Amino acid sequence: MFYREAGQYKASYGADQAIFPIAQDRFVVLAGMAVAFLVVPFLASEYTYRAVLIPTVILTLAAIGLNVLMGYCGQVSLGSGAFMGVGAYAAFNLAIRLPFLNPLVCILLSGFVAAAIGIAFGIPSLRIKGFYLACATLAAQFFGDWAFLRIKWVTNHTPSGSVNAPPIQMFGYDLSSPTATYLIALTITIVLGLAAKNIVRGHIGRQWMAIRDMDIAAEIIGVRPLFAKLSAFAVSSFLIGVAGAMWAFLYLGSWEPAAFSIDRSFQLMFMVIIGGLGSILGSALGAIFIVLLPIFLNQALPPLGALIGWKISTATVSHFESMIFGALIVFFLVVEPHGLARLWSVAKEKLRLWPFPH
Amino acid sequence: MAIPGEGRSRVFDEVLLSVENISLSFGGVRALSDISFDIRKGEIRAIIGPNGAGKSSMLNCINGFYHPQQGAITYKGVRRARMRPHEAAAQGIARTFQNIALFKGMSTLDNIMTGRNLRMKSGLFWQALRIGPAAREEIEHRRVVERIIDFLEIQHIRKAPVGQLPYGLQKRVELGRALAAEPELLLLDEPMAGMNLEEKQDMCRFVLDVNDEFGTTICLIEHDMGVVMDISDRVVVLDYGRKIGDGVPDTVKNDKAVIEAYLGVSH
Repeated sequence: MFYREAGQYKASYGADQAIFPIAQDRFVVLAGMAVAFLVVPFLASEYTYRAVLIPTVILTLAAIGLNVLMGYCGQVSLGSGAFMGVGAYAAFNLAIRLPFLNPLVCILLSGFVAAAIGIAFGIPSLRIKGFYLACATLAAQFFGDWAFLRIKWVTNHTPSGSVNAPPIQMFGYDLSSPTATYLIALTITIVLGLAAKNIVRGHIGRQWMAIRDMDIAAEIIGVRPLFAKLSAFAVSSFLIGVAGAMWAFLYLGSWEPAAFSIDRSFQLMFMVIIGGLGSILGSALGAIFIVLLPIFLNQALPPLGALIGWKISTATVSHFESMIFGALIVFFLVVEPHGLARLWSVAKEKLRLWPFPH
Repeated sequence: MAIPGEGRSRVFDEVLLSVENISLSFGGVRALSDISFDIRKGEIRAIIGPNGAGKSSMLNCINGFYHPQQGAITYKGVRRARMRPHEAAAQGIARTFQNIALFKGMSTLDNIMTGRNLRMKSGLFWQALRIGPAAREEIEHRRVVERIIDFLEIQHIRKAPVGQLPYGLQKRVELGRALAAEPELLLLDEPMAGMNLEEKQDMCRFVLDVNDEFGTTICLIEHDMGVVMDISDRVVVLDYGRKIGDGVPDTVKNDKAVIEAYLGVSH
């Protein structure tokens, strides 16, 4: 009843092709952004920022990046953790070697470095697909792990291998408070997320989806596989690289190579699969799910245990956390293999008809 | 419009594509041996033959998907080097497939819009902002695609995911995607396979209209002899990878070798 586009006539193709063609969607998006930018800063505590909001926002961008590659172009990648690392170390090196650059500029520039590396590791995709490509991108992950640890130049010859991000500031203002950090991350994620949304609904995005759905037919109507696949790798790595740089500069502050290990790759892959392959919104939902669920379980288990008179130790909580987390992922994939984004679109479809489903 | 059973007696002179002594084999299997024929500009050319005769292989050679071991293909007067399918597409060759090869995850509109990808040039940067050239281009091509949608009478499924469409409509969307490329040579691999009479009539009408209105040269593979004899200008007949007949429908229909290939010979 409330979600109904009846009466919203489109008089031009431009209006029909708008990013949010339905008025209710526009309203929800604007309201959501207003809450995120204007209301949250007044409510959130430092813990909420550090544990929940900032990681969710940054990993959303990384998940969008991986979704461009896996969900839209159909190229499996297990190297996203390494590409985040490339972004992080590129931003770090830009910051220390070109000290006149603002750290925020370094974060954005690091995306281009990641894109270049992404293109290089995307070249095998021209010949191999599916599981085999997953193996090839795994090479990117291991190469990244090795390079961050062994090539001393990357870490500026720090003996411990641990590096520090420069303080975030702009025009002389210190922007390292949790609120400022959150707002910076949110702005970058929203701007790049919308850009990704625009690309995937344009002709380049259609080429990616054509390659994903049927690569032979795509090539026969003139899609160049070389361009389509490598551009997907480039855009994907750009977004993941910027997310990695933000992860390092805005969230971790100081980090070691282990921060961008294969665990990160798998985490991003879960986000994309649970959120919904081929959906920008799904990437955000997946990131929220994966970041929030462990925190929620952590908070909810002890009181739940107390209810049945069972005192749970912290160690047991963390065991249960992993078990329930894993079980939920499996359950989720069984009941809704197309992810949270599909649940959302089914809900919208039902809302359109509610309360008269005929 | 042709009178049923009479064939279409039109005359074409200019050769658009010629196939000279093509041979193709996969390992020990000889798919095509020493085939030559030509497709003239503006005509509807049919390729017929029993199952396994090499018809689809022939189309695959024409649009660069297979590379024949011997022989040459001359397109628009240029003897063609080994090329990739997307290069053939760039030269104006579009096709549909025997088993529908649509992009299942995309809507009808997006499928047909993808057919215009060769004409859309705006770069990633403009695409990301979707202003300036990117926005203009999208609307300009949408206009063309909407004309194709009107032509094929599929307005009502414009936004529907193609995976959910019935078979006949999927075939139509696939034709739309090929038409969106505004090809000079359109290759149709069994456009009417698996359709009922009414759907076949619709499809025949579209094929004839495409040929008449846009002047597109059409090369089609079809098993329904009624359709082939009605709509095609000239027919080439393959059997076991060899050419056994070539000419206007009436000649081919009465050719002894063709009748034997289809009906078998008594020994």
